[in-house]
Amino acid sequence: MEKENKNLWSKLVPNIWLILIVLFFYLPIIYVVIFSFNSTKSLNHFTGFSLMWYEKMFNDRKMLEPIYYTVLVAVIATVVSTIIGTITSIGLSKQKKIVRELVLQVNDLPVMNPDIVTAIGLMLFFISLNIETSIFTLLIAHITFCTPFVVLSIMPKLRTLDDNVAEAALDLGATPFQALTKVIIPQIMPAIFSGALIAFSMSFDDFVISFFTTGTGVSNISIFVYSMSKRINPSINALSSLIVAVVTTVLVIANVIPMIKARRPQAEVVKKKSKLSFVPYLAGALALTIFLVSFGNKTTGDFDPIAEFGSDTLNVFNYGEYIGEGVIAGFEDMYNVKVNYDTFASNEEMYTKLMSGTSYDVIIASDYMIQKLIKDKLLQPLDKDKLTNLTDLYHDALQYMEFDSEMVYTVPYMWGTVGIIYDETLIDSEDVETLGWDVFKLEKYRGMAYFYDSERDAFMVALKSLGYSMNTKNEQELLEAYRWLIEMDNAIDPAYVTDEIIDGIINGEKALGYVYSGDAAYMLCENENLRFYEPHQGTNVWMDCMFIPKVAKSLELANVFINYMLSYDIAYANSEYIGYTSPNEDVLIALSSEDGEYYEIDAYVPRIGYENDEAFINDDYIRKIISEYWVKVKLN
Amino acid sequence: MTYPYVVWLVLFVVIPMLMIVFYAFTNAGNDILFFKFTLENFTRFFQDADFLRVLYTSLKIAFLTTIICVLIGYPTAYVIAKQDENKQAIYILLLTLPMWINMLVRTYAWKGILMNFDVSSEFKVFVGMVYNFLPYMIIQIYTSLAKMDKNLLNAAYDLGANKMQTFLRVVLPLSIPGVISGITLVFLPAVSSFFIPKLLGGGDYVLIGNLIETYFITTGDWNFGSAISLIMAIIIIISMYFTKKIDKKIGEE
Repeated sequence: MEKENKNLWSKLVPNIWLILIVLFFYLPIIYVVIFSFNSTKSLNHFTGFSLMWYEKMFNDRKMLEPIYYTVLVAVIATVVSTIIGTITSIGLSKQKKIVRELVLQVNDLPVMNPDIVTAIGLMLFFISLNIETSIFTLLIAHITFCTPFVVLSIMPKLRTLDDNVAEAALDLGATPFQALTKVIIPQIMPAIFSGALIAFSMSFDDFVISFFTTGTGVSNISIFVYSMSKRINPSINALSSLIVAVVTTVLVIANVIPMIKARRPQAEVVKKKSKLSFVPYLAGALALTIFLVSFGNKTTGDFDPIAEFGSDTLNVFNYGEYIGEGVIAGFEDMYNVKVNYDTFASNEEMYTKLMSGTSYDVIIASDYMIQKLIKDKLLQPLDKDKLTNLTDLYHDALQYMEFDSEMVYTVPYMWGTVGIIYDETLIDSEDVETLGWDVFKLEKYRGMAYFYDSERDAFMVALKSLGYSMNTKNEQELLEAYRWLIEMDNAIDPAYVTDEIIDGIINGEKALGYVYSGDAAYMLCENENLRFYEPHQGTNVWMDCMFIPKVAKSLELANVFINYMLSYDIAYANSEYIGYTSPNEDVLIALSSEDGEYYEIDAYVPRIGYENDEAFINDDYIRKIISEYWVKVKLN
Repeated sequence: MTYPYVVWLVLFVVIPMLMIVFYAFTNAGNDILFFKFTLENFTRFFQDADFLRVLYTSLKIAFLTTIICVLIGYPTAYVIAKQDENKQAIYILLLTLPMWINMLVRTYAWKGILMNFDVSSEFKVFVGMVYNFLPYMIIQIYTSLAKMDKNLLNAAYDLGANKMQTFLRVVLPLSIPGVISGITLVFLPAVSSFFIPKLLGGGDYVLIGNLIETYFITTGDWNFGSAISLIMAIIIIISMYFTKKIDKKIGEE
């Protein structure tokens, strides 16, 4: 009896263990699938069943492009690196030991090096040779980090081969080529397949190296997800669920069919199974690619953009989640052009990309960064004759456009302020209104606050609170601001995040933070307990503008696009969707009027003309000091 | 047949690596023709307690992740290897399937899941790392267990060894190479990971990968960023060297 019990246990425990491990692996996947059916944007509260994110995904052509590029790059990189890797391995096995060891040592470098080091090395290489990043640089990078895995997979197998077999083939009259293809390659085939499979999965899942080496309009799934950090778009959950479904189907077919066949008395099929089971992976991936290629190439109308504007593609670079739905597709359809639409998470990231030789036609970025770009002579004047929609601007806001007051290089896209957002059921309104920014030093709100993970904004808060200009060049004042931030960190121990603030405060994770007025407008619509306050110590008035960099290739089309974005309907669609304030006076009035989306939402109409408010002025030297300080505050 | 790839390696592996070294030992404003070597970037790193703490934290969490991956991965691989062959294939498939879902998407999902629990940022990063790197460990150990000759086990039993003895004297030593390559595959990406801490750590959990990203993308100080990259690469190459040595020693025994 006891023994039986023991047996039962020894069977049960391992199985329970395996089930737990499998559950652990599938937990996030189940989570993704469930939340792809959520009825709101929330990522941790399921509010109801809906198919809206699937609808959005299929309506938005741009959502499917990353899958297409991911698969395309993975397939090409796998094929090329498998061929190079196989040829090299066979060649190496015939080389002298010293040569072989040396090549294998170098071959190990990309495997041993952290991804980020490989990525940065390649980026520095492309920049110094003035090679413009594109899908080719991306492919070079992928082949570079995939091939070593193929070599590593094949070399051990080659060592175990009996040289005499190939020699026997030659003695029997085979040509060297025949000996290679008929004798050597079949023997190492399993190793080639597993090398190819590793290469494919490495390329398929890569983020860091792709992020630093890709060019305009070419984003794989990882880059796409990463750049959505402005505001998480749950369509990505729908997209991932779709991938889960496709991969599962391919794998089930690939593995179930051989099993069914194996039941029949055909010994040969069983024998070949291990070899063939790799093929369907690639076949499935190829099928998916072809399906998506046919999806991606939609052409409409008979408008000839090349005759009209000299170009039919436009490269646009914008913040993530910073444009209305269907606005890009509308432009593509209107002029029968293709828009490569890329997004970034911060001005600095945009600057690095631009500096690394990526060519864009239209960029949307913030005031202080534009000032730097103008100073460095990286922008070109706009063609004012083309900008027929440049009317009805809200003049009071334009006073903050000191960096380009004549609008030679730039035109405004959105503007606003920075203010405190808080839940009035948890945070005393009086505290916020009397203390302003100093509310972040009140110990009773410990653990309840977010702080923006951006050195510029953090120092703005600290400097304003101390009564200094946020553009101070006085290093003593900067030191005081640093100390203010350390005190703040000790007092309330905030979570340093970026756009998690938006969802986090709406969902009540935390009750206090500061945000851009546009995000506040959206948040106030979502949760009625929230209040927005622009501190009396003053704040930052910012302006995001559209401009054309010197490296632009489709100049005319770029001006046409900017004019399209300036038109009333598009400006309205953009502002309504993202909640940021339009510089177009009519749009602003319409959206904040009784019929508008942002009626009685005070954050949608930011404060203007207040004496303590300022716009940012760029200063590279100061920026270095504060980013150094900021690293220290976070490490505190 | 070797030379095309040798050219490729020189162009896209050796030269980029040398460029990082060049940037690490110079300061901004130098150009290729007129530059001055300096150790400033390195002294700046090693003289600053905060940077050293980041280095320490990165090594600590990578080390912990690796240990936990071995502790969870070994029994899992062992249990799978004990199943009959068809079941083995299904389990391996089950474990590798999630890897086809983008790593960033899975990490975002963890972020949502972990939001519901009141745990420290360090713990969140730790969960994210174990989750992402555990499959590599399991597969490596499983492969070494699966190709083990079953006759060896039978021989051990025939010679009177009990289950425990067989495991400790035969199975474990023969699977060590698998464990070691698993450790390499976990420790390496764990030290340099920058996405997992960035997403799950909530900004105040900075690892060395984040530091490199900050200096390249936000601050634009490529020289200092290169120096940190070089420091990290050297640490990793040294630890790999020792792992290989241990591997060899065990192999000889």
